[in-house]
Amino acid sequence: MSAIRAFLCRLSGLFDNQRKDHELKEEIESHLQMHIEDNVRSGMTPEQARRDALIRSGGLELAKEAYRDRRSLPVLETMMRDLRHALRTLRRSPIFTVVAVLLLALGIGANTAIFTLLDQVLLRLLPVKNPEQLVMIWTTGPNLGGNIGSRASSYPMYQDFQQRTQAFSHIFCRFYTPLSVSSGNESERVAGELVSGNYFQALGVGPAVGRVFSPEEDDRMYKGHPAVVLSHQYWVSRFGADPGVIGKKILVNSYPMVIVGVSAAGFSGMDPARSPQIRVPIQMKPLMTPGSDQLGSRRNQWIQIFGRLKPGYTMASAQASLQPLLSEILRAEVTESSVQYVPKSVLDRFLARKVRMEPAANGYSDLRQSYSTALVVLMSMVGLVLLIACLNVASLLIARAAARQKEIAVRLAIGASRGQLIRQLLIESAVLSVIGGATGLFLSVAMIHGLFGFLPTKGMLLTLRAEPDWRILAFNLGLVFLTALLFGLAPAWQTVRVDLSSTLKGAEGALAGGTGSARLRKSLVTAQVAFSFLLLVGAGLFVKTLANLKQTNPGFRDIDNLITFQVDPARSGYSLQRLKDFYKQVQENIRSLPGVKSAGYAWIPVLSGREADWDVVVEGHPFKDGDDRQAFVNCLSSGYWQTMGLALLDGRDFDGRDEGSRFHVAIVNRAFAERFFGDKNPIARRIGFDLGPGAIPDIEIVGVVENSLNEGVREGVRRQVFLPFAQSNFPYASAFYVRTSAGSGPVYTALRRKVQELDPALPVYEMKTLENQLDETLGTERLTATLSAAFGALATLLAAVGLYGVMALVVVRRTREIGLRMALGARQGAVLWMVLKEALGLLGLGVALGIPCAYLLSRYMSPQLFGVAPTDVWTAAVAAVILAAATAGAGVLPARRASTVDPIQALRHE
Amino acid sequence: MTDKMDVWQGTLALMVLKTLETMGPLHGYGIARRIEQTSGNQLTVLYGTLYPTLLKLEQEGYVSAKWGISDNNRRAKYYSLTRAGKKQLESEARRWEQKTAIIGRFLSPSEEA
Repeated sequence: MSAIRAFLCRLSGLFDNQRKDHELKEEIESHLQMHIEDNVRSGMTPEQARRDALIRSGGLELAKEAYRDRRSLPVLETMMRDLRHALRTLRRSPIFTVVAVLLLALGIGANTAIFTLLDQVLLRLLPVKNPEQLVMIWTTGPNLGGNIGSRASSYPMYQDFQQRTQAFSHIFCRFYTPLSVSSGNESERVAGELVSGNYFQALGVGPAVGRVFSPEEDDRMYKGHPAVVLSHQYWVSRFGADPGVIGKKILVNSYPMVIVGVSAAGFSGMDPARSPQIRVPIQMKPLMTPGSDQLGSRRNQWIQIFGRLKPGYTMASAQASLQPLLSEILRAEVTESSVQYVPKSVLDRFLARKVRMEPAANGYSDLRQSYSTALVVLMSMVGLVLLIACLNVASLLIARAAARQKEIAVRLAIGASRGQLIRQLLIESAVLSVIGGATGLFLSVAMIHGLFGFLPTKGMLLTLRAEPDWRILAFNLGLVFLTALLFGLAPAWQTVRVDLSSTLKGAEGALAGGTGSARLRKSLVTAQVAFSFLLLVGAGLFVKTLANLKQTNPGFRDIDNLITFQVDPARSGYSLQRLKDFYKQVQENIRSLPGVKSAGYAWIPVLSGREADWDVVVEGHPFKDGDDRQAFVNCLSSGYWQTMGLALLDGRDFDGRDEGSRFHVAIVNRAFAERFFGDKNPIARRIGFDLGPGAIPDIEIVGVVENSLNEGVREGVRRQVFLPFAQSNFPYASAFYVRTSAGSGPVYTALRRKVQELDPALPVYEMKTLENQLDETLGTERLTATLSAAFGALATLLAAVGLYGVMALVVVRRTREIGLRMALGARQGAVLWMVLKEALGLLGLGVALGIPCAYLLSRYMSPQLFGVAPTDVWTAAVAAVILAAATAGAGVLPARRASTVDPIQALRHE
Repeated sequence: MTDKMDVWQGTLALMVLKTLETMGPLHGYGIARRIEQTSGNQLTVLYGTLYPTLLKLEQEGYVSAKWGISDNNRRAKYYSLTRAGKKQLESEARRWEQKTAIIGRFLSPSEEA
């Protein structure tokens, strides 16, 4: 206790020293005087009395020293002195300081920004109880039915797991789906999640207001739990954080439900890229996804299962304990009638399905995979940029060291140790780095807001934060000290290695920087060139990838004047027939608008990453077991192809003849026709879908259409079968396509109005041109290309600046030699070339080092690329040319200065 | 003068506390004088040991200091014992007695033998 008190006193002793020095002086003075007076009283002469008092009380200066050491903390005091000295020194050279701080701020800021995204998308643990106990559970192998999303399981499978496994304290499940929410007379489409009743309990997430779901209250009755839990974010943004909403009724998909609570602030769910705004008990599934129930079906896999491991179980032991259960379930499933016609070989694979698990401490996201590689690549690139910036600052410090040689020599001569000086210089670096880091932190927030513009998913924006938290601060601080060491250590070492006698004698030659420091700076520049080369090659590959993706012909014509929007009236309680009538009516009303040439609609929107694929049977085309029979399916209205600008190669479009409640006719694309019919005419041939036992080819091909893209550019052209929307018995969620003659601006509002004339409460969403839609699918690629190009440019600029500095130094050092050469008759051109040659030599060395590195790194990039080889020679050549141009630019200025040297002046130089 | 002992660190703190307990508030010079007298002039108290010790005691909260006027009208800093100081004195004195008793038993001729 008293020790802490003493420490705090000593800490405060670092300040206000003058007053305390003065006080001590006064105290000792009064001590001395009293002593003298006593001595005089005991009979000494004043002279003697003073002498005696001084001797008997010991040395005054020593006493002050000992007192001062006790008053504060000597170690800290020295640090403070060094710090003050460093600040003073930096203030004396403001240009150097500003340049160094800017370089560091850019480097550290960019790193902090990218790390903030990386951390939130990839690294951060879910804000739930003991996230390390969470695992995701799924099964491999064929399901003999439909799948929605990745790692999906059937609901009965989930129930079996939940009731019969020992390894987990909880097993819970979730399903992500958009929902239509209306309260008052406002409707909007929100991100929703259907969850098992134990979802919140299992995660250990409580309510902010009201209650969350419980297995007892919300998971007992099929369609019997009209309860809603709002996310905290949605509660704040939509309901103004009003606690009165608890108990209020809202319509979800036109079904009356009660808001029972708001989940805890900060909790956004299992998927960091999506943040559901409302959650509904999974028993409400049929009402939340009209037209598809699936709760009781073992052949439909759609939910994602998670579990919380019991203490004492590892993932491996849990997996081992679940596998026999799965096999048992599968053996029971084979006896179901729906799988009786499946060939033996497929059944064997079905029975051999395996349980898979993965830690889910940071949740699971479909999108993570595509972002993770991009973010890791960007993180590496931005790390290189920081390294280059460090090399630049190091180079600047070495140049400064040359100018400070005299000061350093004097300090060494009067007794400073090299260790003390290195400490002093490192503190200077640390000060630069801390200021740079703090500036960088502010820069990073602005940069992150810029980065958000590249993210295509709106749900993602809800969970991502630009503001730094303690993790980001720690990362930033770590970078600050790492960089300080990186750029500070070598120059500091270089600085204190001065040759005392020659420097003090004032040998000017030493002042311009010894051979050692020039060599060091040259190697730094070479490293910079090599790193810049790497970054430029990477940037080139990504830019080319983006260009290739953009130039890929989607098949659709003039997509700039092609507007798409989506409606989902099924989520507003429409019946099957009313849905079909509604779509038709919308199409007709839109067609009558001025500026609209044609309109059509489709079941699944194109270029949205979504798809449906079924196995086909083809008349006259026997399949062997294991043949690829996959075809990608969509349902279309008449007029769709005309609107999309695609030619029918043969046959006809859908029209009024194609009605009914089951599919009779189909249009196939060229890829499908070529795969199954070769060069024979597919018209009037029959196909069917292997949806149930004994599939019969009873759908007649009436048309063939040119190829076009389906999910996105990377996926390319698929074998496709198109069916008439009018014959569909699942006409849910639909995308409209509208061909306009001119600018689309005014048409947007008109389209919205036309839909709302028919149903004022129906949300119209995702309205944009198809061009924008295509652009959005390229969000990751654009992010990578733009940022890597920016990093490459920055790196090249920094390398050029570094090169310029070194060449300027070289020219100063060789002024005399150059003068001599010119006096002896060297031409200007020869001198120019002499200097440039040296610069180009550094460039050549840097690129020579960069090429093998680029080659080694290229393999990690290939999954990110499209239409360009990772070892593309042209890209490397362009990178080298850009660097050469920058080098020439950086070398030419000093070279010209050298070539215009006046020989007389130069020989007098020094 | 040469045979006088310099006060060794650590024990000085105890002497200062004891002095302040017996004498009441006192300035640095008075404390030094008193310690030297009590030791029968065998000890010398130097500035360089006295004032850092006083500062240490003050930082630890065992003494408090206040500027005042001495008997012969001189401004001086007066030190006085705090409550924590009193406790510290008691425990330190006890420890010191134990220590000396143990050492004493080693050094005195053994009576049991």
